[in-house]
Amino acid sequence: MVENDVLLRVQNLKKYFPITGGLLGRQVGAVKAVDGISFEVKRAETLGLVGESGCGKSTAGRAILQLHKPTAGQVFFEDADLTQISGEELRALRPRMQMIFQDPYATLNPRHSVGKIIGEPLIIHSVMKKGSQELKDRVAELLELVGMDPGYVRRFPHEFSGGQRQRIGIARSLALNPEFIVCDEPISALDVSIQAQVVNLMQDLQEQLGLAYLFIAHDLSMVKHISHRVAVMYLGKIMELTDRSTLFENPLHPYTQSLNSAVPAPNPKSERKRRRFILKGEPPSPANPPSGCVFHPRCPLATEKCVAVVPDRRKVHPGHMVACHLADEKGSSKIPEDTILASVVD
Amino acid sequence: MTTILEVKNLVTKFYTLDGVVNAVNGVSFDLEEGETLAIVGESGSGKSVTMMSLLGLIPSPPGKVEEGKAFFTTSEGRRDLLQMSTEELRDVRGGQIGFVFQDPISTLNPIMTIGEQISETLTRHLGMTKEQAKERTLKLLAQVGIPDPQLRYKNYPFEFSGGMRQRVVIAIAISCTPEIVIADEPTTALDVTIQAQIVDLFRRLRDTLGVAVIWITHDLGVVAGVAERVLVMYGGRPAEIALVDDLYERPQHPYTLGLLGALPSLESTESERLVSIRGTPPDMLIPLENCPFAWRCDYAFERCWEEIPPLMTVDEQHQAACFYDLEKGGPRDG
Repeated sequence: MVENDVLLRVQNLKKYFPITGGLLGRQVGAVKAVDGISFEVKRAETLGLVGESGCGKSTAGRAILQLHKPTAGQVFFEDADLTQISGEELRALRPRMQMIFQDPYATLNPRHSVGKIIGEPLIIHSVMKKGSQELKDRVAELLELVGMDPGYVRRFPHEFSGGQRQRIGIARSLALNPEFIVCDEPISALDVSIQAQVVNLMQDLQEQLGLAYLFIAHDLSMVKHISHRVAVMYLGKIMELTDRSTLFENPLHPYTQSLNSAVPAPNPKSERKRRRFILKGEPPSPANPPSGCVFHPRCPLATEKCVAVVPDRRKVHPGHMVACHLADEKGSSKIPEDTILASVVD
Repeated sequence: MTTILEVKNLVTKFYTLDGVVNAVNGVSFDLEEGETLAIVGESGSGKSVTMMSLLGLIPSPPGKVEEGKAFFTTSEGRRDLLQMSTEELRDVRGGQIGFVFQDPISTLNPIMTIGEQISETLTRHLGMTKEQAKERTLKLLAQVGIPDPQLRYKNYPFEFSGGMRQRVVIAIAISCTPEIVIADEPTTALDVTIQAQIVDLFRRLRDTLGVAVIWITHDLGVVAGVAERVLVMYGGRPAEIALVDDLYERPQHPYTLGLLGALPSLESTESERLVSIRGTPPDMLIPLENCPFAWRCDYAFERCWEEIPPLMTVDEQHQAACFYDLEKGGPRDG
């Protein structure tokens, strides 16, 4: 990986969805799905974006690709600000950024053959002509690339299993030789044994083609496995962003620490010994986020300052950003060993 | 230790327009008093159908429980669940055997308050009066960690979040002090921090009530923390059954080995490549004449293509349905 070779830069990106009400359907509020996130994705790098349902991670992925028009903020792809350029310019850039979706059953048109599905981006962007030999060869090449038999071109999506459909989705996203792919929960609908196949395929493709991924998922262990750096989202904001080993060995944000602690490990001996911080309560609604730090109602370390003041992102170590008032080099934001958080309500 | 549930050679088929689906092909297991048994498998492995068969919840047609015994031992004696009348089963379900399903929103009745739903179970099974039932319901709500039981009693399911709804379902499951609670993917629809809360609640209930739990899941991470014994299912058959430590430390079936290899470890710092299992799960429409895993197995040899491996004893508490001895590196003796 070339250092500092930034492909995508997201700056203070916001996406609010209006809540309308009353007789006239006036806007009475907003769901702050993404509320000011910033990060960079380098070439050939995987940035993991984790968070629980409703934290805005999928909306963030879509807003980056301009599938949702952002409310505010900038998205730079190389030097072009995707939020400002014209539709025509954006269309010209589209081939370089693609998306892989969660549900391999819903993302493929059931009436189109595999060949048509994979070849369609090439025709739409006038790279190749419909029915040409060149197109057939490219589709066959793509099928082979994702580990499928090129003879499947005439088959239809319903003839394939979930893992194979996800491979077809990946082949389609690769058709135009993209540099950047947003992967929105690409493996969460798949069985465990198939998840590993798809993750390995994605890593192989990254190596071969130098792809950059924004890997959106809720499964922390898989994100840790595939990502170079990880951003943790909570209620529309990024709580912590650092390289993957730091995130798991020295997490500074109390939310990251509890998230780490909640993931069950496939090892009965360590599971029995493990002390868990179990978070109280559930994430609040993004339509009515808490004051100050959005995590404070669930945070065991919250102080008066956390209730009143929104914490800024700060760089605690090089390449380690934390949005927490308590975070410092001394580890003041660490949840102490003797904290008992397990279901305090009981 | 007394065995409260003995399942022997259960066979369930679905007669569909596409052919006969062999959903469960001879599953046997025991459940001890107060024990937590996890049943692990991928989609289509037959883990849920096994449980639905035991409780007479298989829609018929197209489904049919064709063979098997399921002895359920209580103070009323040893009875075969599969031979019970609909009336008898109704008493067992929700009474001596409680359930928790994956999706709490479709388990609960949307137009009844959650207080009424819990009380209903109590008046139906334990013959309580309305006042008694309400009093016990409030206790149950507190027991499963729902704040303000008095207030929440009058709420409808839509007023609860996913995790809280699952707590209500658990309250219903334990309301009649059952012998067994069957939990079918109880945390799969929940976020990881909420999952940790529910797993913690289950552990505590098991310790305080001494109830036996059958935990059906696909997640080997959750299993490691909750189960004492594990049954791994593949293609409608048991692949391996073992104490939880044995299963993770010395898996005896290549499928179990593959599943464990497919999981990324949170502890490792190096980026190791995941060991994937090639191919896809079997088509349950095709009747089996050989090992259901042979197509995907790196260790398969002639015998695996000729016979269906039965469960073979590895040691006292450990059985595997595989002709190949992974530890020895050759065909299993006997």
